[in-house]
Amino acid sequence: MTDQPTTAEADESTELSALEQYASDLTDRLGATGYDVEFDTVRVFVELDKWVETIVAAREDLELFSWLSAIDWSKTTEVGEGVADPDSLVERFEVLCRLSSVREHNADAAIFVAVLDRSEPSIASLTEFIGGAAWHEREAHEMFGIDFVGNDNLIPLYLPDAFVGNPLLKSYPLIAREVKPWPGDVDVEPMPEPDQEPAADGGAS
Amino acid sequence: MMHRSEVAVSVELQTPDMTINIGPQHPSTHGVLRLIANLDGERIRDVEPVIGYMHRGYEKLSEVRTYAQITALVNRIDWVSGFANEVPFILGVEKLLGIEVPERAQWIRLILSELARISSHLVFMSSYPLELGATTPLMHTLREREYVLELIESVTGGRFHPNFTRVGGVKPNYGGGSQTKKQSMDLPAGFFKQTLETMDRVDQICDDLDTLVTGNEVIMMRTQGVGVIPADKALEYGLTGPNLRASGVDYDLRRDDPYLTYDQIDFNVVTRDTGDCYARYVVRQDEIRESANIIRQAIDMIPAGPLMAKVPRVLKAPPGQVYTRAENPKGEFGYYLVSEGGKMPYRLKIRSTSFSNLTILPWILPGQLVPDLVAILGSLDFVLGDVDR
Repeated sequence: MTDQPTTAEADESTELSALEQYASDLTDRLGATGYDVEFDTVRVFVELDKWVETIVAAREDLELFSWLSAIDWSKTTEVGEGVADPDSLVERFEVLCRLSSVREHNADAAIFVAVLDRSEPSIASLTEFIGGAAWHEREAHEMFGIDFVGNDNLIPLYLPDAFVGNPLLKSYPLIAREVKPWPGDVDVEPMPEPDQEPAADGGAS
Repeated sequence: MMHRSEVAVSVELQTPDMTINIGPQHPSTHGVLRLIANLDGERIRDVEPVIGYMHRGYEKLSEVRTYAQITALVNRIDWVSGFANEVPFILGVEKLLGIEVPERAQWIRLILSELARISSHLVFMSSYPLELGATTPLMHTLREREYVLELIESVTGGRFHPNFTRVGGVKPNYGGGSQTKKQSMDLPAGFFKQTLETMDRVDQICDDLDTLVTGNEVIMMRTQGVGVIPADKALEYGLTGPNLRASGVDYDLRRDDPYLTYDQIDFNVVTRDTGDCYARYVVRQDEIRESANIIRQAIDMIPAGPLMAKVPRVLKAPPGQVYTRAENPKGEFGYYLVSEGGKMPYRLKIRSTSFSNLTILPWILPGQLVPDLVAILGSLDFVLGDVDR
């Protein structure tokens, strides 16, 4: 897939860390398209049409369904700071599902990632095999507008029935900020240097 | 020939289906949870939980706040164990920034996490018997919890929302420590002594609960064999913490994926095999004793030293994605942080424990008796702020 963000290539010249080795083995076993290890977090990229079968196969040794959610990768944003490099970004949704192992007292875990088209985001539902995914999919549906095919109960979970819009989209403004901008930048006051006397409260002792 | 007692008499009683509404304001729902239950006589046919009455949109709010500001938000997710919510978030930020936290700060975080666990479990110990009809344990247990909250307050200044961790360490109140200038920002004087005394009280209340609740015949009849969750279903629905361990799964992040300084501590992971409401109750009770032991060990082992690492004034995390998790009183609590190199996260996914623990309701409740609904709900020990985020 060309819109894959950062797929680590198994480079023969460098030694793989234990975590990278684990991610590489997992990717090979499941027939996934690639993996990524950063900050001790393993991500495995899955083809969209193999989403369900990959997750079901992965649950053989990653038994615990931890969570499912999504990320909206957008060039423009109404809230926050946006992406670092909008020009090279491929606009997309990522659906993430995290599974972890519980039986061997190890910390094995992986986040499975599927990339979705932003214009008509749709992915197969996991609810047939993982009952616990139902609420997570409902949340992702109302927050991002992602369709989970096979989940027949995609009614709003958190939001009121009459709510319009998908609040976690980057294009969705935060109304409170429109009304009164948060002085997030200016309230970072300079800290006193460690060798300096604390100015404001130093006189207490 | 068939014995008389084996002859089954089959009489089909026709009862019309009835839909009843429970909540959102109801004593057994721990906040604002609404259940729409279809009943067939006394049995629940199916149930539709309605949540979201307390949805505050923390994931969206986090996208317009700096890393240091978000700790004030995450305190308020599960307010019964406010401090424990801060830990996985701050660990994630520190991992992104590559900050090494001084050891003493890590031990203080550990002690306060365990105090939060005791206080959260004591709330369960007091409210659960109440839901089953026993009022006495509430008074005893909440009194002891107050001692624990006082300890947390003496260090952090807050009983419920400590907002005490900083990126790079912890920051006690100025003047909280002993009077020499160098230590004026350390733990308050006499904190360890007071904590050890309180831990003795905590052990004592566990013993009292043994006679009051654990061995109580009525409690046992109401909870044993009720709401059984098999291990495979618990894993499928993402149950963690005491709810998972009561189903026989030996899984505790403090041991299996150690963070802070848990790897230096010797403690038992409490499990039970029956998976019923009683098991979930007993696991929590034993975990209180384990937490008290952990705190005693920590007080023995805590080194002297600084409480804060050197941290840049303006925190800009490098681009990357990190998931950090911790064993909170109610189970795995995690944050998935996506940084694009700015002062604020690009996306923060909050994996709150109670939300996942409640997803099993549509599976566990059908077929149960209406009076058992309260017993099952209470045994899952959820906080609606943690469900709705």
